[in-house]
Amino acid sequence: MTIDITRRAILKAQAAGIAAAAAGIALPAQAQPVPGGVGTLDITWSKAPCRFCGTGCGVMVGVREGRVVATHGDMQAEVNRGLNCVKGYFLSKIMYGADRLTTPLMRKRGGVFDKDGDFEPVSWDEAFDLMAEKAKAVLEEKGPTALGMFGSGQWTIFEGYAATKLMRAGFRSNNLDPNARHCMASAAFAFMRTFGMDEPMGCYDDFEHADAFVLWGSNMAEMHPILWTRLADRRLGHEHVRVAVLSTFTHRSMDLADVPIVFKPGTDLAILNYVANHIIRTGRVDEDFVSKHAVFMKGAVDIGYGLRPEHELEVRASGAADAARMEPADFEAFKTLVSDYTLEKVSQLSGVEPDFLEELAELYADPSKKVMSLWTMGFNQHVRGVWANHMLYNLHLLTGKIAEPGNSPFSLTGQPSACGTAREVGTFAHRLPADLVVTNPEHREHAEEIWKLPHGLLPDKPGYHAVEQDRMLKDGKLNWYWIQVNNNLQAAPNSDHETWAGYRNPDNFIVVSDAYPTVTALAADLILPAAMWVEKEGAYGNAERRTHVWHQLVDAGGEARSDLWQMMEFSRRFTTDEVWPEEILARSPDHRGRTLFDVLFANGTVDRFPLSDLDPDYANQESRHFGFYVQKGLFEEYAAFGRGHGHDLADYDRYHEVRGLRWPVVDGKETLWRYREGFDPYVKPGEGVRFYGRPDGRAVILAVPYEPPAESPDEEFDFWLVTGRVLEHWHSGSMTMRVPELYRAFPGAQVFMNADDARRRGLNQGAEVRVISRRGEIRTRLETRGRNRMPRGVVFVPWFDASQLINKVTLDATDPISKQTDFKKCAVRIEAV
Amino acid sequence: MVRPLLPLFCAATVLVAAVLAAPALGQDAPRLTGQTPPMADVPAPPVPKWVRDDVRRMRAYPEQPPVIPHSIEGYQLSVNTNRCLSCHRREFTEGSGAPMISITHYMNRDGQMLADVSPRRYPCTACHVPQADVAPLVPNTFRDMSELGARPAGSE
Amino acid sequence: MRRRIGAAAAWAWSIMARPSVHFGLGFLTLGGFLGGVLFWGAFNTALEATNTEAFCVGCHEMKANVYEEMTRTVHFSNRSGVRATCPDCHVPHDWTDKIARKMQASKEVWGHIFGTIDTRRKFLDMRRELAEHEWARLKANDSLECRNCHSAVAMDFTRQTGRAAEIHRRYLLAGAATCIDCHKGIAHELPNMDGVDPGWKVPPELQGRELPEASIEGVRRYLADLAG
Repeated sequence: MTIDITRRAILKAQAAGIAAAAAGIALPAQAQPVPGGVGTLDITWSKAPCRFCGTGCGVMVGVREGRVVATHGDMQAEVNRGLNCVKGYFLSKIMYGADRLTTPLMRKRGGVFDKDGDFEPVSWDEAFDLMAEKAKAVLEEKGPTALGMFGSGQWTIFEGYAATKLMRAGFRSNNLDPNARHCMASAAFAFMRTFGMDEPMGCYDDFEHADAFVLWGSNMAEMHPILWTRLADRRLGHEHVRVAVLSTFTHRSMDLADVPIVFKPGTDLAILNYVANHIIRTGRVDEDFVSKHAVFMKGAVDIGYGLRPEHELEVRASGAADAARMEPADFEAFKTLVSDYTLEKVSQLSGVEPDFLEELAELYADPSKKVMSLWTMGFNQHVRGVWANHMLYNLHLLTGKIAEPGNSPFSLTGQPSACGTAREVGTFAHRLPADLVVTNPEHREHAEEIWKLPHGLLPDKPGYHAVEQDRMLKDGKLNWYWIQVNNNLQAAPNSDHETWAGYRNPDNFIVVSDAYPTVTALAADLILPAAMWVEKEGAYGNAERRTHVWHQLVDAGGEARSDLWQMMEFSRRFTTDEVWPEEILARSPDHRGRTLFDVLFANGTVDRFPLSDLDPDYANQESRHFGFYVQKGLFEEYAAFGRGHGHDLADYDRYHEVRGLRWPVVDGKETLWRYREGFDPYVKPGEGVRFYGRPDGRAVILAVPYEPPAESPDEEFDFWLVTGRVLEHWHSGSMTMRVPELYRAFPGAQVFMNADDARRRGLNQGAEVRVISRRGEIRTRLETRGRNRMPRGVVFVPWFDASQLINKVTLDATDPISKQTDFKKCAVRIEAV
Repeated sequence: MVRPLLPLFCAATVLVAAVLAAPALGQDAPRLTGQTPPMADVPAPPVPKWVRDDVRRMRAYPEQPPVIPHSIEGYQLSVNTNRCLSCHRREFTEGSGAPMISITHYMNRDGQMLADVSPRRYPCTACHVPQADVAPLVPNTFRDMSELGARPAGSE
Repeated sequence: MRRRIGAAAAWAWSIMARPSVHFGLGFLTLGGFLGGVLFWGAFNTALEATNTEAFCVGCHEMKANVYEEMTRTVHFSNRSGVRATCPDCHVPHDWTDKIARKMQASKEVWGHIFGTIDTRRKFLDMRRELAEHEWARLKANDSLECRNCHSAVAMDFTRQTGRAAEIHRRYLLAGAATCIDCHKGIAHELPNMDGVDPGWKVPPELQGRELPEASIEGVRRYLADLAG
């Protein structure tokens, strides 16, 4: 029954209402019905993880008429219990920037592809045809090492898994690396070297149990705001809790610190060894724990800076050739090495006052204090990032403060699925799923088994890592390159000389899949429009090992398609005859003449779940297109790698019901703390603690020294440059800068500088300045009063602003072991414009 | 009735299709799409002024944390003091005239109400941000739920 | 030794107590006058030298802590470029108060020599006490140093935000509060503010009542209201 409301009746009702109000009479509610009935107020709510950082908050996404109209923090999600940060609160706007890509775009001149032409819309068929043609030409001429893919920690688990299959098993190239190389490689390598397995042993529950928190080079208040609220809740709600924050400048996280430490860039290594020294000297080593569960090793030293081999620093580095080497050692050797790091010496070197250093050391040494250490880019984006991670584990291992509630060395992750996708699925240039590596013949064989592929197929040499990919593009050795879900022209170091030169090298064919026209997309030869976030069914794995799955809630606009669809559809254009060597085909004739789609995705495992398994309430574009439940099939095949090996995942359907589960999920139960009896089903009763990733069950305590950064300030370039982020913008800003409220909250990058430094150089607040290094420069505005309070001689520039590509200025020095770039230390000078 | 409108309808469709199909590669938003060419150096525009008129802005949807319509320069939010709460806390609102902090901020992690603001809500600026007085770089086609048919009681 | 001093003192007295033999009265008086001027100039120059920012931040504990914090505030850099230095807020202009303050400053010299706040940790631990001294001083002299530059009646309400204009009218012009009551932390970071309420907190006994307006009548009515 509809209510026919005429204008006249409305006016009558209004008049009556006014009169009634004046007379103090309330009109009965029936005079003002909800137009169309209260059902019109309904919003369809579904769960999903947030699109942004590695915290992995749960959100509820509200959909009406095929559009996202609202989101809020999911009260039922363990991670955030109803809270979001400002970026999360604007998730409902991130897909709706007006310049969203809706059709493939190809550079053309005169109607044909031309690398110097202008972008014109083309069909998917034409796009894939060109891509396939180029790929086959490159494979023919140079082989699989000239093909490369740069993926992402923002890929869904299925996408990362499909990519690793397509590249390694399809094209037989290990040149697959994720942008997580720029953020988590050092942490991942240190996990593998220390524990034999990747990913933290604790979880976010440690926040509610710790007595002390130590932040090393992490600005959680801006970068992991919801975890910061859990920390603040604990700190402000319990009097005895202490917070120590270490960084090269004062930022919002330091505002909550009881022990605020500002140290000279690079000297965090010395401080770490000092703390270890303090623990040993004051007799607070947990000898029982160390003797049972740890083993000592010494690392190679003088390992260089990951620069191009001809660089003088590399030539001079005596240990560069075998940077990852670890030799057995003992406690005495370790004790001798760290004994050099006395309080006076380290205070002198780092510029930190002795009483702060002692307070910090006591937080670790005091056996009654449970310590949670947290770190992100300050440690990982470091020329000795792997060492820094090791040295931190040393502290927790020496004191036995590990793998139990509150005692937790916790490596925080930046991207929503750097853990779940980039690391666990194995999208690094040397990895296979579930921590397996390409260099190990048994691992390769195991993968070939699960993938039902002929043995000997998978390539055994690690491929090019991120920085090396840019160098190889520039040098013309890498000629076909597909970039997905990242903005590497904005993110990569020394971008003018390496990245940009590589993309525009006339020998190279560059394809970029993205949702928006980023600076990287606009530098490519072919742009493919991507579906994002809840426009596809997806799964992410956050920093605490929580795998979280979501349904497709809305359709992507125009012809945008998910990266998963793109890769699977593209694989149809290749047959095994074209890309596999004859010896392999000869040995397994069943695989002859089949498309890569057949052997990778329609292989009986990935395509075994029918469409009837889909939830009828939700769309699933990829599954409907390919005719089987794609995501479930990929997930279940991937899970076969990890189940029974410490990486157990639950059944796929279960993840749609819950707000994520922390692996290993054994017998339906998630694991909160790994390696400890009672929490981890893999540790048998009576074992207490076992680091079962390593054959001897022991974790490594590594003795390594302090070594200086690659490029320090000198007379010509007298400032340290630190790059990083701000709360309001995520990564390169391609999503957040298109949300009006977020853009307006921080409308452009600035260079943060100490006010007195500025005054002495005659630079006004807000003046236009150049930030210049040996490699490039940008023009920006000066900020002396902002949230980042810089010490003398250090400046900070965030990288979210495409008009101020600070990575033209940064140096492509990496940790020689992890190959992760050091974005936090190079030398610049500041000049007025 | 439909016939005269048909050509108009077709024209509109064509126009819409053209707009959708045309590459939206405006170089007038270098902060989003970079300079032309990308590695070029261009002047940095002046830092915009901030909105500080104390006028409460409409929220994009009910659960959105309201933006801050006043200056927060120099406002300290630390373990020592919370300048935001010194106006927005219930006890101080009478003297300051500021809106009281939302009741949702009195809930702890388990959903229980506390006597005062929960410590987990202490970092105000994690969710509430001021706004610069600038136009967005690109329009955002987000549609308010009220446009999509949700109209509350009493709106007609 | 003592006899020598005694002899010298007697000799000096003999010269001072006798009339001048060689120098004329004019010379002595004028010379004395000029000498006094020179002495006063030197004294004042030395005194004012201790009233400069450069002198204050010569001590590391001042430069690294409070000065550093001030460089990020509106008193260091603002729209008009009019800035305040240490003495503008911390040294009274009035001569008697100034000398009194200088005498109190000897405590600071002691503190510097014996390192009362010579590390950041010591400073952080003592911040509340130091802040309380300054708050008490400014409260006692009705924010005199603030008023050296900021005159309440000269405030142009059309150039303040609505919020600021309203609060200044309600509290400052009505004499209900002095600058330091609300503007704590205007130049240096705040200490632990446990137990320190903001200046605009309405005391419980006055809650719900209308605050006095900025007029004599309003104040009279308010006082009468309170009385009965």
